Amino acid sequence: MKEINDLNLPENIKYTEQHEWAKKDGEIIIVGINDYAQDQLGDIVFVELPDIEDSFTQGEEFGTVESVKAVSEIYIPVSGEIIEINSELEEDPELVNTSPYDKGWIVKIKPSNLSELDNLFSKSEYLNMLKG
Amino acid sequence: MENKLKITPLNAWHRENYGNMADFGGFDMPLWYSNIGVKKEHLAVLESVGIFDTSHMACIMVNGEDAFKLLQLCFSRDITYLKHGRCGYGVILNNKGHVIDDAIVYCFSKTDYMVCVNAGMGSSISSHFKAHRENLLVNITDLSEKLAKIDIQGKNSAKILSKLLKHPELVFDKMPYFSFKGHFNENSSFALDAVFKDKTCALISRSGYTGEFGFEIFVKPEFIVKIWHDILNTGKEFNIIPCGLGARDSLRTGAVLPLSHQDIGDWKFINNPWIFALPFDSDKKGFTKDFIGKQALCDSSLDKFTFPFAGENLKKIGTGKDSMVIDKYGSNIGYVLSCATDMGIGWHKNKILSIASPNVSGFKAKGISCGFVKVNRKLDYGEKLLLAKGNREIQVTVLKDIRPDRTARKTISSFLLN
Repeated sequence: MKEINDLNLPENIKYTEQHEWAKKDGEIIIVGINDYAQDQLGDIVFVELPDIEDSFTQGEEFGTVESVKAVSEIYIPVSGEIIEINSELEEDPELVNTSPYDKGWIVKIKPSNLSELDNLFSKSEYLNMLKG
Repeated sequence: MENKLKITPLNAWHRENYGNMADFGGFDMPLWYSNIGVKKEHLAVLESVGIFDTSHMACIMVNGEDAFKLLQLCFSRDITYLKHGRCGYGVILNNKGHVIDDAIVYCFSKTDYMVCVNAGMGSSISSHFKAHRENLLVNITDLSEKLAKIDIQGKNSAKILSKLLKHPELVFDKMPYFSFKGHFNENSSFALDAVFKDKTCALISRSGYTGEFGFEIFVKPEFIVKIWHDILNTGKEFNIIPCGLGARDSLRTGAVLPLSHQDIGDWKFINNPWIFALPFDSDKKGFTKDFIGKQALCDSSLDKFTFPFAGENLKKIGTGKDSMVIDKYGSNIGYVLSCATDMGIGWHKNKILSIASPNVSGFKAKGISCGFVKVNRKLDYGEKLLLAKGNREIQVTVLKDIRPDRTARKTISSFLLN
């Protein structure tokens, strides 16, 4: 596994305890799993995506990410409605490994309460949590 | 914590080459290599060749006048039929008929055997042998960490070894599945039977851990790093890839081979796909010998059943006692022992094909989840089950075998032709 100091954790996004990330892009939130999660899972072979218009509340499971050996649930960082899913992951799930913050994004949400972003970790808070 | 882990002589190599390391049986071992990944490692073994550092496994030498008697008592196979130069897979049971570990026993002679068990199991299996030695004249020597091992697996393994061995034609001559040549100890009378060009003496066995054609190579620890590099360099033309434990798991499951302490373990070793490892007599009702665990196995009350399954696609299910196996009547009949995705196979017209299957034009292996369930009744092959854990479920089919067209049993000569 990568050493904590080798992880790619951008400054401008928020992190959850379960290793998702959330990025505010205008009025919407883009969601994915972070470098730590993709490194721990190894080769991702399947991403189970929700349907567009599904609604979830913060912390609720909204899909799964599978490696060859494991199945991992993924949890929604902020409450809201799914407005777009990354359908490229159906053919190329490994984008989550190769480009976790860019081409490997998972869903876009119309958030119902933007202030929930404040409950999430900054990069330094997330790193502190990882270091325990 | 981490600095207490044991390491193999190849540890520095794994770490320098992006090994994704984790504790496995007390050893710091690569799960996969980050610059390669489990999927490519798995596929390399099916399509060409891969190598595994298996030096974490433990070997025990059992020698002396009564070596045969002790192993007849402690090992599940009837080794009367195990001749010099042959090896056999079996299990070591306790009095309850539960699996302490699985093992391969190598026969040098009726007074000289080697037992290869899993990581960290050398001392407990040695103690088990010693506890049952009583008055038998036999020496038990635990070679844990005193012996190193590489598994080379895949159809191009023989071509690579043939370029590295001094007399490949002698090593490969009359070498059927589950036989071996040579010895890692240069003083052994078998030592000259398998020697590398650099004079390293090896025990080379035609077995391995993936269900595919290949070899296990035992050498003294001081020689393993060089042999590893030699194999990687010579294997370049075949795109050889180093593989970690992740690929081992997925390859084994697809080949319907158990992972010790997961698919076999603290329950009776019966009614599973591996009972060929028990010494049944010809009418399959009794056993040909006495052995530890026999009595428990003969009492068939409350026995569980283990069956292989394959999913409809690559979607997996979580395992463990909190998973459920639901049959067509809606009853929960057991739980999932293991579940992995074999990325080298896929469903094609109601049949599983492998990327190694012949004439598969138009077929793309998308991967199929597979594994084992432990249930409280006998199942029929073809029976559909629903596996569930948490709020997730997958439909699977009970099958006798999973990945087709495996190469483990093909003749060596068929892989040496161009």
